[in-house]
Amino acid sequence: MKNFGLYIHIPFCVSKCSYCDFCSFVPNHKQMQDYISALKREIVETGEQTKDKVVTSVYIGGGTPSTLYSGAIVEIMDCVRKNFNLIKNCSVTIEANPNSFDNEQAIEYASIGCTRLSLGLQSDNDKILKVLNRVHNYHDCVNAIEAARLNGMTDINVDLILGVPQQTISDLQVTLSKVVNLPITHISVYGLINEPNTPLTKAIEQGKYTLPPEDEAVDMYNLTVKTLAEHGFYRYEISNFSKIGYRSAHNMNYWRRGEYLGLGLGAHSFINGTHFHNTEDFSKYLDAPANCKEDIEPETLKTAKEETIMLALRTTDGLDITEYNKTFSADFLQEYQPVLNKLLKNNLIEIKNNKLIIKDPYISNSIIAEFF
Amino acid sequence: MNFRQQHIRNFCIVAHIDHGKSTLADRLLEATGTVAKRDLQEQLLDSMDLERERGITIKLTPTRMKYNYKGEEYILNLIDTPGHVDFTYEVSRSLAACEGAILIVDAGQGVEAQTMANAHLALDNRLEILPVINKIDLPSADPEKVKHEIEEVIGIPAMHAPCISAKEGTNITDVLEGIIKEFPAPRGDEDAPLKCLVFDSYYDNFKGAICLVRVFDGSVKKGDKIKFMQTNNEFEVTEVGFFIPKPVECEALRAGEVGYIAASIKKVSEARVGDTITNATSPCAEALPGYKQVKPVVFSGIFPVDGSKYGELKDALEKLKLNDSSLEYSPETSVALGFGFRCGFLGLLHMEIIQERLEREFNLEIIATAPGVNYHIYKTNGEMIEVSNPSNLPEPSLIEHMEEPYVNMHIFTPPEYMGSVMELCTERRGENTDIVYLDEKRVRLDYDIPLNEIIYDFFDSLKSRTRGYASLDYELSEYKPSKLVKLDILLKGEVCDALSLIVHQDKAYERGRIMAEKLKEVIPRQMFEVPIQAAIGGKIIARETVKAYRKDVLAKCYGGDVTRKRKLLEKQKEGKKKMRNIGSVEVPSDAFISILKID
Repeated sequence: MKNFGLYIHIPFCVSKCSYCDFCSFVPNHKQMQDYISALKREIVETGEQTKDKVVTSVYIGGGTPSTLYSGAIVEIMDCVRKNFNLIKNCSVTIEANPNSFDNEQAIEYASIGCTRLSLGLQSDNDKILKVLNRVHNYHDCVNAIEAARLNGMTDINVDLILGVPQQTISDLQVTLSKVVNLPITHISVYGLINEPNTPLTKAIEQGKYTLPPEDEAVDMYNLTVKTLAEHGFYRYEISNFSKIGYRSAHNMNYWRRGEYLGLGLGAHSFINGTHFHNTEDFSKYLDAPANCKEDIEPETLKTAKEETIMLALRTTDGLDITEYNKTFSADFLQEYQPVLNKLLKNNLIEIKNNKLIIKDPYISNSIIAEFF
Repeated sequence: MNFRQQHIRNFCIVAHIDHGKSTLADRLLEATGTVAKRDLQEQLLDSMDLERERGITIKLTPTRMKYNYKGEEYILNLIDTPGHVDFTYEVSRSLAACEGAILIVDAGQGVEAQTMANAHLALDNRLEILPVINKIDLPSADPEKVKHEIEEVIGIPAMHAPCISAKEGTNITDVLEGIIKEFPAPRGDEDAPLKCLVFDSYYDNFKGAICLVRVFDGSVKKGDKIKFMQTNNEFEVTEVGFFIPKPVECEALRAGEVGYIAASIKKVSEARVGDTITNATSPCAEALPGYKQVKPVVFSGIFPVDGSKYGELKDALEKLKLNDSSLEYSPETSVALGFGFRCGFLGLLHMEIIQERLEREFNLEIIATAPGVNYHIYKTNGEMIEVSNPSNLPEPSLIEHMEEPYVNMHIFTPPEYMGSVMELCTERRGENTDIVYLDEKRVRLDYDIPLNEIIYDFFDSLKSRTRGYASLDYELSEYKPSKLVKLDILLKGEVCDALSLIVHQDKAYERGRIMAEKLKEVIPRQMFEVPIQAAIGGKIIARETVKAYRKDVLAKCYGGDVTRKRKLLEKQKEGKKKMRNIGSVEVPSDAFISILKID
């Protein structure tokens, strides 16, 4: 039976962060109820279509799943377990905001088999949290972790963000020194991306804020990689670091170009060789939750190859050339000979044990684009 | 003399650029009722958009006008001439088709370089010259002073020159009467064997190459067998006619007349400007004098920005060549730019026109390499080869010496800019041969100067140093030995052949330094450091570095939105198609262009 990852999107937040262009909004109680019942309908109908497959990981993301009313997550997970074949000891991750996760929630989530918690800390620094329009502080995070651990959720990720206006190297140093000593297993570190039309992007365009210079952002990244490794968090993907044995199963599936099914508003899927996503229009979704697919794109040989390379090169394991050749009945080294020569000559990649690995992760886009 | 010919006047208008040649032509067409005012597009004779935009004429369109003078009807044939030094030979052939020339001089500007050059060309062709002082409506106009200047500088009587404003239509009748009174009528022998001069040709999709001709002796009609005396090609005439200014078929063209001949000629190169057409069965004894095969003097490589458009570029050049026999091209391969063509032009303006037409009329994005001249390379084995592409230069050890073409250049400038102009000419290796004070406001500087030094930014520099007051004219003189070297640009250690130049050794260091600096500005930061070096032989003379960029993104591949990410990268890749790869360095197409604009 084929495996796939299940993603469940909860598009609600207590407030919108200044840099966020994800599919999320601040809801009222009725909207939450309507959404949960629509989501359950989608779970029932799509579960029917995947009877022949096994779910290897569940990821409840957002938005902020922890803003849901109490009992909602239980309803969802019960429904999922009824309608999908979850593998034994299936990893279930839930995202939470440090200030909307307490003992009560920890008990609820643990009861339905959530094994992994992902907390959006971003920074310990109130100045930076204010720029980002985050509503929590560092202590909330410490408390949330304690609550999770008390209830047996010991696999914990903390998200950090780099390259924020007003963030200095020493700010980051302080953040890292605190975070590495938290009882957690995983850290994700994302570079700030200025998506068009977010309040932060507008503020930067208006000159209210300035981004740290390029060189400084790179220095921040290098400092992060070094500091985290010193404390046993090893980089395994451009933005992801974990203690040994604690890589995110759900994300590893993405990077291996495994199948995944996204449920909920705007969620993306790649299943049966086809990419699509649900509508981002809330009322359309409520009307037909299992029948609102958009941008349906079957893979082609070209896109399949490009995605395989693109995703694999994000990881420190790199691209398994043997596997590539097997999957596509191809000869990778011959197919990309000129590109490989150029990149090897400039010391940007290495090939070890028949695996192609990027040496310089901060220019990975440019390197990957060479293969397109 | 024959009554018919007595009522014909064949004339042209010559002038320095911007002195109002096309505007006067428009007024003449209007005043003779050839073209109704409402149909008159501004400057009608310049038929190509490009020409109209630049206010210059390239193609010649001879127009037949009728004018009543003292109760008798005259036929006035206006043969327009290109106003630029690049087309001197075409101008000379047009002049040879006329008996008279109107010399327009701007009442404010006075005699300029091309006024002189054109007046001398007209005198060389033994034309009667009618000076006309134009733009008398301008506040700065000083017609009397200009008349004196014409008499002094050119040496022709000008006291009775019509003073007109072509723009406002003032005194146009004086010009028309002057044409009839001053210019001689043609004196051909209608019964002699056909002898007619091809002074231009153009390509018509249906009729083939059309010859624009002046009949000197005899006559020609449909069905006649004709022969081109230089090429010995024979054709049967399919149509004769004249322009008003649209082509109108007529029964025959006779001695003294101007018109066109169509004869199913496949290429304009078979109807060469300056050739003599005669009757194939009873030819005239000798051809008209003055025929020259025109040779390009300025060369440049032209490549498509998008390498896959090579075929389209080839087709476009073929089409342009149909109408422009002076354009030469042959396939060329560049390591940096791929497949393209080495093209030869009559001069810099001709080159710019061709490049612009390729872009506008054929919608092609092109990269042109630095324009160069044809060098004579004398090799140690006694052989002499001609090289215009720096990449084809033999190894230095195989070269005995090199020669480059020189020109005689005449610059007209107000005396206050003399110092600055002379400085410019000296910088460009010019040698001053004469200084002539024409009056208190104008001086002529003559220079012996390498053609290579004036083919790109010289004219712009001259204009900016003299606030636009100086004018320039030149003619090719001879090849002279010169200490030339090949300057190479290396990007990350690899020679970029498209940027190689042949330069004088005294200038190589500075040029190399400036090019390296300029390239540093235009080459974007890449995944790795890019050293830029200028080198002569194996010796590095300048170095700059484009630092590697340090990050592009640490983005999250969130929510499984792989498609979006892939498309972003595809877009990034797409943007690179406009780049040229020199080794592993990506160079934007613009870089090649901006390098040419170094002063």
